[in-house]
Amino acid sequence: MTETNQTIISLKHMQKAYGDHQVLKDINVDINKGEIVTIIGPSGGGKSTTLRCINLLEQPTGGEIDFHGENILAPGYDLNDYRAKVGMVFQQFNLFNNLDVLSNCMVGQELVLKRSKDEAKKIALENLKKVGMEPFIKAKPSQLSGGQQQRVAIARAISMDPEVLLFDEPTSALDPEMVGEVLEVMKKLATTGLTMIIVTHEMAFARDISDQVLFVADGIITEAGEPDQIFNHPQNEKLQKFLRNFRANSL
Amino acid sequence: MKSKIRMIAVMALFTLLMVLGLTNNQSQVEAASDSGTLKIGMEANYPPYNWTQTTSANGAVKIDGSKQYANGYDVQIAKLIGKYLHKNVVVEKTEWDGLLPALTSGKIDLIIAGMSPTAERRKQINFSNPYRKSSFVVIVNKDSKYAKAKTLNSFKGAKLTAQQGTLHYNLIKQLKGAVRENAMKDFSAMRQSLQSGTIDGYVAEDIEYLSYKRVNRNITAINISKMKGFKVSKSDSITSIGVKKSNTKLLAQVNQALATISTKKRNQLMATAVKQQPKAGSSQTSAEKSQPWLVKTWKQYGNMILGGVGMTLLLALVGTIAGFFIGLVVGIIRTIPTPTTAGKKAFLKVVNWLLAVYVEVFRGTPMMVQAAVIYYGIAQLWHINLNRTVAALVIVSINTGAYLAEVIRGGIISTPEGQFEAASALGMTHNQRMWHIILPQAIRNCLPSITNEFIVNIKDTSVLSIISVSELFFVGSTVASQTFEFFPTYFIISVIYLILTFTITRIFNLIEKKLAGPKNYNLMANQIQVGNPEDEVK
Repeated sequence: MTETNQTIISLKHMQKAYGDHQVLKDINVDINKGEIVTIIGPSGGGKSTTLRCINLLEQPTGGEIDFHGENILAPGYDLNDYRAKVGMVFQQFNLFNNLDVLSNCMVGQELVLKRSKDEAKKIALENLKKVGMEPFIKAKPSQLSGGQQQRVAIARAISMDPEVLLFDEPTSALDPEMVGEVLEVMKKLATTGLTMIIVTHEMAFARDISDQVLFVADGIITEAGEPDQIFNHPQNEKLQKFLRNFRANSL
Repeated sequence: MKSKIRMIAVMALFTLLMVLGLTNNQSQVEAASDSGTLKIGMEANYPPYNWTQTTSANGAVKIDGSKQYANGYDVQIAKLIGKYLHKNVVVEKTEWDGLLPALTSGKIDLIIAGMSPTAERRKQINFSNPYRKSSFVVIVNKDSKYAKAKTLNSFKGAKLTAQQGTLHYNLIKQLKGAVRENAMKDFSAMRQSLQSGTIDGYVAEDIEYLSYKRVNRNITAINISKMKGFKVSKSDSITSIGVKKSNTKLLAQVNQALATISTKKRNQLMATAVKQQPKAGSSQTSAEKSQPWLVKTWKQYGNMILGGVGMTLLLALVGTIAGFFIGLVVGIIRTIPTPTTAGKKAFLKVVNWLLAVYVEVFRGTPMMVQAAVIYYGIAQLWHINLNRTVAALVIVSINTGAYLAEVIRGGIISTPEGQFEAASALGMTHNQRMWHIILPQAIRNCLPSITNEFIVNIKDTSVLSIISVSELFFVGSTVASQTFEFFPTYFIISVIYLILTFTITRIFNLIEKKLAGPKNYNLMANQIQVGNPEDEVK
C-alpha cells in the first residue's frame, strides 16, 4: 500500500538444512518498507521455516539475511537488538504464562528497550486498546480464549515498536469463529505503515491485504507477484494445482 | 560409554578420598589431647557403665553440646583419670559404631564405654590396662525353658541376640543349636524384646544382669563363662580404655591413673552405679505411678522433645531452602544452551561434568553414609572439628541440592518451547529469559516436588542421629531407652512427625493455590466474548 521502495529486509540465497534434509534450497526476496507480504504454499514447503529463519529462531545454514543492507548473520552482529526490531506473532500465541496480559505487553519494553515502567504501561495500554483487549489487562493467559490470546500477542509485539512484524500462521490454531477477530486486527495494523510478513492459509485474506504474495514450495520461491497475478493469473504449474486444491477444499 | 566414564570417575574420586584418609591417618597430629580438657567418648546409653540423665545429681558430667548429663561407672572412672591428669572431663555422647572413627579422627581423646579390647579393635586403636573384669551370661525369663540350661548345648532352638558390633554377638555361635537373631542396637531394645517375647534371651555381661534384675525380677542369668568348652580370649572378658594409636603419651598416663584405683574402689564404684542407674517402670514410687505416663514423661522430657522438634524443623527448613538455591544454580547451569565459541564450550562441558558427578554421588548414596563420611572425613583429613549442627545443616543442604537440581532442571526443560521462542523473539538475553519468563514457571511447576522434598527432609533427618545431632528421633530414642516405654515414646514421636508433615503440606498447598490464581477471569471474560470484539478495534 505504501510504496517507498526502500528495501528493509533482503534474503539472498538463504538455505536451511536439517542434516541431509534441505528444507530451504535458495530463497531470494527483497521486502520494502511498509510492504505487506504474504507467504503461501503447501505444507512442508518451507513457509514457516523461511519466517523463522528471518527471526533467527532457526539458524540458516547458508546465504545472507540483510537488514537495512547489513548482513545479520555476520559474526558480532547484535542479534537481540535485531530481534527487538523484528516482532513475531506465533501460531500458538506463546503468551508468557506466568504474567498477566498487561505485564506480557510490558516485559519486553522494560527489559529490552529499557523503557520506564510508566512509559511501558502507557504504550501497552494503548496497544491493548487497539486490539480490544483493554478490559482484560489483569487476566492470565490461561483465562483467555485463543482469539483473545492472539490479540494480546499482537499487542505485545507492536508494543516493541518493531520495524517488521512476522506472523507465523496466526489463525491456524484458532476455532473458526475466532479467526475473524484476529484477521480484523491485522487488517487495521496493515494500514499503519508497518512492514508485515505473514505466513497464512487464509487465501481470501492474503488476496485482500497483500502488496506482494510469495508462493513457497519445495524450498524455493516458486512464484512471486501482486495478489491479482498470483491468484488470478498463476503461471507455475504447482501454484495452479495448489490454488485448484484450495478452491475445491473451501467449497 | 559416557555413563561408564562418569562411573569410573566417581569411583576414582572415592578411592582418592579413602587413600588420602588413610595416609593422613598415620601422620595425624594429636588433636585435643594437649589442651585442658579430656574428651571422653561413650554411648551414654549403656547402664550401669554409662547413661544419660537430665540433672547433675550423683556427680554426673555434662554432655558436650546438650543440656543433659552423663553418669555411670565409666563416667566415675573418667573423672578419676581426669583428676589424676589435672584435666577437665567432657563427655561426647557418641553412637557405639561411631566411637572408633571419633577417636581416630581426633574428635575424642579416650573411649571409656565398657569396650572390650578385641584383636580387631586393637588393629585400629590402643587399649589401656583393664578397668573392669566380667563374665558372660545369657539373660532369659525365669519361666523360660532355657532358664535351667547347664551346658552350651542346652540352648538348642533358643532365639538369642546381643548388641550390634560387640563380642557378645559372636559368642552366640558357641551355643550349639541356638538361633542367632539380628543384633540389636542397645540393651534397652534387647530388654524390650525379651519382655515382649520376640527373643528367648540375649548374651551380655554379668553386670547387665545385676542392673536389669533390679527393675525386672522375672529374669535370670545363666553364666556361660564357666561352662565346659566355652572359649573366649582373655582380652574379651575385660573392658579397657581406648586411646588413639599415635597418642602413646596419653596411654601411659591413663595406665598410671588406673594403677591408682584399687579393685575395692572399682567394685564400690560399680555397685554405686548399679544402684544409681535409671530405672524402668516397675520400681517407681507410688506417687510417680499415680500420674499418667504421658504427663510424667512430658514433665521430665518435654523440653528435650521440644528441642528435638526445633532441631528437626531447623534442619529441614534450612536444608530445603539452601538445597533449593543449590539446585537452582545447578539446574540453570545444566540447561545453558551450548555456546558458540570453542573456549566457552569446553569450560561449560567441564562444569557440567562436575555438576553431574555431584548429582550422581549425592543422589546415589544414603544420607546416613554421607553424614558419617563428611563428619568424620573432614575431621580426619583436615583436622577441622565441625560443630555437629553445622555439619548436619551442610549435609542436608547438599543432599537436597542434588535432588532439587534434577527437579528444577526437569521444570526448566518441561517449560514449553514456545515460551523460550517468544522471549527470544522480543530480543531478551538468555539471563532475562531465564529469570523473568522460564524460572517463574518452572519453579511453580516444581513446587509439589519441593514440598515433597521438604517433607522427606523432616523425616529423613532422623538418619543424622548417626552423628549424634539431637533431632527428634535421636531425642525419642534417648527418652525411650531411659523410660523403657518403647511403644508409647515412639508412638508420640511418630504423631509429632505426622503433625509436622501435615502442617507443612497444608501450608505449601495454600501457597500453590495462591500462585495458581483464580481459574476464571471474573465476569468480564464472558461479557466481552459474547460481545463483538471488532467494535473495540479502532
